[in-house]
Amino acid sequence: MQLVINTYGSYLQKNGDCFKVKTDEQIYEIACKKISSILISTAACISTDAIKMAMENNIDIIFIDNSGDPYGRVWHPKLGSTTLIRRRQLEIAEIDEGLNLALKWVRTKFNNQIGLLQRLKRTRPHKSAEITAYIGKLQDVMKGLNSLSGTISGCRGTIMGLEGSGGRIYFEILSSLMPDRFKFNGRSRNPAKDEFNTLLNYAYGVLYSRVEKACIIAGLDPYVGFIHTDHYNKKSLVFDLIENYRIWADEVVIGLFASRKVKVEHFDKIPNGLTLNKEGKAILLTDFNSFIDESIRYKGRNIKRSNIIQFDCHRIANQLIGDKDESRG
Amino acid sequence: MKAGDKLVWVIYDITENTKRTKVAKACKNKGLYRVQKSAFLGTLNKNQLDEFKVMCEDIISPDKDSVYIFPMCEDDFKKVKLLGQAFDRKLVTDEVKALFI
Repeated sequence: MQLVINTYGSYLQKNGDCFKVKTDEQIYEIACKKISSILISTAACISTDAIKMAMENNIDIIFIDNSGDPYGRVWHPKLGSTTLIRRRQLEIAEIDEGLNLALKWVRTKFNNQIGLLQRLKRTRPHKSAEITAYIGKLQDVMKGLNSLSGTISGCRGTIMGLEGSGGRIYFEILSSLMPDRFKFNGRSRNPAKDEFNTLLNYAYGVLYSRVEKACIIAGLDPYVGFIHTDHYNKKSLVFDLIENYRIWADEVVIGLFASRKVKVEHFDKIPNGLTLNKEGKAILLTDFNSFIDESIRYKGRNIKRSNIIQFDCHRIANQLIGDKDESRG
Repeated sequence: MKAGDKLVWVIYDITENTKRTKVAKACKNKGLYRVQKSAFLGTLNKNQLDEFKVMCEDIISPDKDSVYIFPMCEDDFKKVKLLGQAFDRKLVTDEVKALFI
């Protein structure tokens, strides 16, 4: 399970093979074997012994800020795999192979969005016609991808444009499906202006850190992206890859609203927007973690959603170094 | 619970304080949850169970102390009745995916 430290002033230390967390009220002891990662979302102390035990057991410690963006991570100083993967990653960014890979991810994103809308349509018969119309619009935008060829740098602008207009259509229909109190006006970040965006940003933040971890383990360089350009400290590949999985965050957040679990009290007002407070984070992360722990059918096998990210990253890495079995898929 | 994991109860009666503390610590380190002063419950796989058995054998004095390790099947666990200060069922069967502190 994921250990989430959410109480201000907690102290994380090592005790035997256990992590010991002290708060003002209580002391908790959790065996290291039961923990897969540690998420720290508030002011806390950690002892170096605890960090050492985490590193030795492949547990990453992630620090997440108020809006859900991971601002730091403690991870062992190893590459994860062979540098050959990173060399090849740089090479294919220049040729059509890179474009095909990138296009595949964008298509997955569109298909995921359309799939989600179709699922939402089933449980909302009175909105059926409206949703169908928006699915049609999304499919039209997606057709724009078919005409692209050549290298990434030539059609990056077009891809980004199509992604943008797809996103606008998608979030417009999602807003219209929200309860009246929680309707929103497009995406907003830093800070989020409404409850939907606050939850979504936080969930995306958690997802980013998972994708980055999977990249590192598979030996992919998180900074060498295809659709997203190179920039100082920009995790372009993480931004590229996350498009495949954003749908999970979307689905969890929509589910929270649909089951009336979101309350106005879960949010704190900050200048120009909102943030999630302690209870809000707990509600979101509980649902998110159990959602990605569900097994689903994927590429011919039953696999937990949380392992799909790693599975995909390994596939990409194997493709890059020319494992023939993998490159067919 | 993962395939191959077993739900086990560990209950002990140990006279000497230091030995008792050591067994309790071994339980915690193996990821068992304390449900009473000398009763632990949690999920272990076969290797962890064997390891735990060997550890306890080394600690206790066989002529005075006792450690019981009871496996329990999932169906029976579902029928367990809890009264008063009960433990968290989901925690011991590894169903909790995010622990908030």
